[in-house]
Amino acid sequence: MKTEIQRNSPTVLIAQIVSLAVFLLLWEWAAKTKTVDPLFIGQPTKIFAYLYQSTVVDQVLLKEAVWTLSETAAAFVLGSVAGIAFGLLFVLYEPIERFLDPLFSALNSLPRIALAPLFLLWFGLGPLSKIALGLSLTFFIVLNNTVAGARSVDSDLIILARMLGAGKARIFFKVTLISAVPTIFSGLRLGLIYALLGVIGGEIIASQHGLGQLLSLLANTFETNGVFAVLFFLAALGVTLSKLMSAIEAYLLRWR
Amino acid sequence: MQPEERSASIDIENVNHLFAGGVRAVCDATLRIHAGEFVSVVGPSGCGKTTLLNLIAGLIELRDGRIAVAGAAPLAGRNDVAYMLARDCLYPWRTALENVMMAGEFRGVPKAARMKRAKELLGRVGLADFENHYPKALSHGMRQRVALARTFSMDSPVMLMDEPFGALDAQTKLQLEDVLLDLWNAEKRTVLFITHDLNEAVTMSDRVVVMSPRPGRIIADIPIPLPRPRSVRALQKDPHYHEIYSNVWSRLEEGLSQNGVHPA
Ligand SMILES: Nc1ncnc2c1ncn2[C@@H]1O[C@H](COP(=O)(O)OP(=O)(O)OP(=O)(O)O)[C@@H](O)[C@H]1O
Ligand SMILES: [Mg+2]
Repeated sequence: MKTEIQRNSPTVLIAQIVSLAVFLLLWEWAAKTKTVDPLFIGQPTKIFAYLYQSTVVDQVLLKEAVWTLSETAAAFVLGSVAGIAFGLLFVLYEPIERFLDPLFSALNSLPRIALAPLFLLWFGLGPLSKIALGLSLTFFIVLNNTVAGARSVDSDLIILARMLGAGKARIFFKVTLISAVPTIFSGLRLGLIYALLGVIGGEIIASQHGLGQLLSLLANTFETNGVFAVLFFLAALGVTLSKLMSAIEAYLLRWR
Repeated sequence: MQPEERSASIDIENVNHLFAGGVRAVCDATLRIHAGEFVSVVGPSGCGKTTLLNLIAGLIELRDGRIAVAGAAPLAGRNDVAYMLARDCLYPWRTALENVMMAGEFRGVPKAARMKRAKELLGRVGLADFENHYPKALSHGMRQRVALARTFSMDSPVMLMDEPFGALDAQTKLQLEDVLLDLWNAEKRTVLFITHDLNEAVTMSDRVVVMSPRPGRIIADIPIPLPRPRSVRALQKDPHYHEIYSNVWSRLEEGLSQNGVHPA
């Protein structure tokens, strides 16, 4: 496609690299000359020095990232599985949806971070409270997408499957479920990012481990360079996770 | 599979259908389609053609009258009835081949057998090279060919078709009409073919049944004495065909005016 060629063309890439370099140089200059107080903005060379130190030398960042990533994975997997299961249950038995709707709508409109104190009380300072927070975000996103996807199945495809001789179960698994996969997938992609958000949020509030905990520790001790380093790392992590999901999606949904 | 002669007939007796909300869609329809016969139903939009077809297919519950397909009451998903719509209704996550294999899959045909049959049919509709393409990579006409192959893959003695070529351009339509006639010549089925294209009805069918505007009643049943095998494209230039066509057209007008309708 034309637009893709343009976006990946060397000119664009070179322009991006050059402007990034200029930006970093300006940043470095502003910090060094104290035009802007480096307490607020850090200093690029020191940020990268911190990044190097904490990923290669003492690997603090990596060790904390393992905590965060495992909690995120747990929150994502549990939240998605539960979300898909409840979504399918709702589609199969609408009365259950109508019964649970008031509770679920209330929980879903609640700012989830407000549950953090309660989760800390219930599950303690360890990983469980973070997993619960991430899960509570992922669950509703995946649930809503599953229901929407399964409801939007083309009714003619169902009629045709019936005429081709498929029974109820076959129609559900071979038509309804498969046509819901694209919508479920966009829910999963969003759900993954939200699982990370919930986990980091939980760690920032109270934790002994994880990138969120590291971040709040660094900020509280005015280690601005460290804060930026963690933020850079988190951004890279988020992009990587999203790209990974897109790659899986592109493979599974190659028929689209 | 050669269907037994008597077993593939469609008998419709005094069928009425009233939709919830009071729309009377089919009115006292009586029609008999013999095994191996190709019968078209024409009529103005909204007169109840699709309703009649869906009653026969068992997709709409029959409440008034009697319908027997191969001697049995209508039931959706019967092995001996194939069904095709104007929309191709291909499953986008399945390749052309997998789409054609679908009916066999639902009907418990062993994989090797249904693959062989699907490949043969794709070859006959001219898509042998597109077996592994997903529907998104096929043109409109190609998709409808796949749908046609899938309809035949059911090996059902009865085929119900609701304007299967209604959404195609004129050229593609002529092409697919001939593909259908060729397949039908090779494997005789009982076909009930809905269309609002009188030209299509006359060139393809043994009989053309005309329905009045809503509430749809059957107002004419006209035999088409054109010899078989036919080629729809060759017929376009055949004077005998044009004679029959204008004959059918006047019978149609007659039928409509007798029923107090003035054709436009
Ligand atoms: N599910 C339904 N509920 C209520 N009324 C319906 C329903 N389906 C069809 N009708 C009505 O029944 C009448 C006949 O519809 P039908 O689809 O059988 O027409 P048709 O002859 O196939 O028309 P077309 O040539 O446009 O496809 C229409 O007036 C329509 O409004
Ligand atoms: Mg119709």
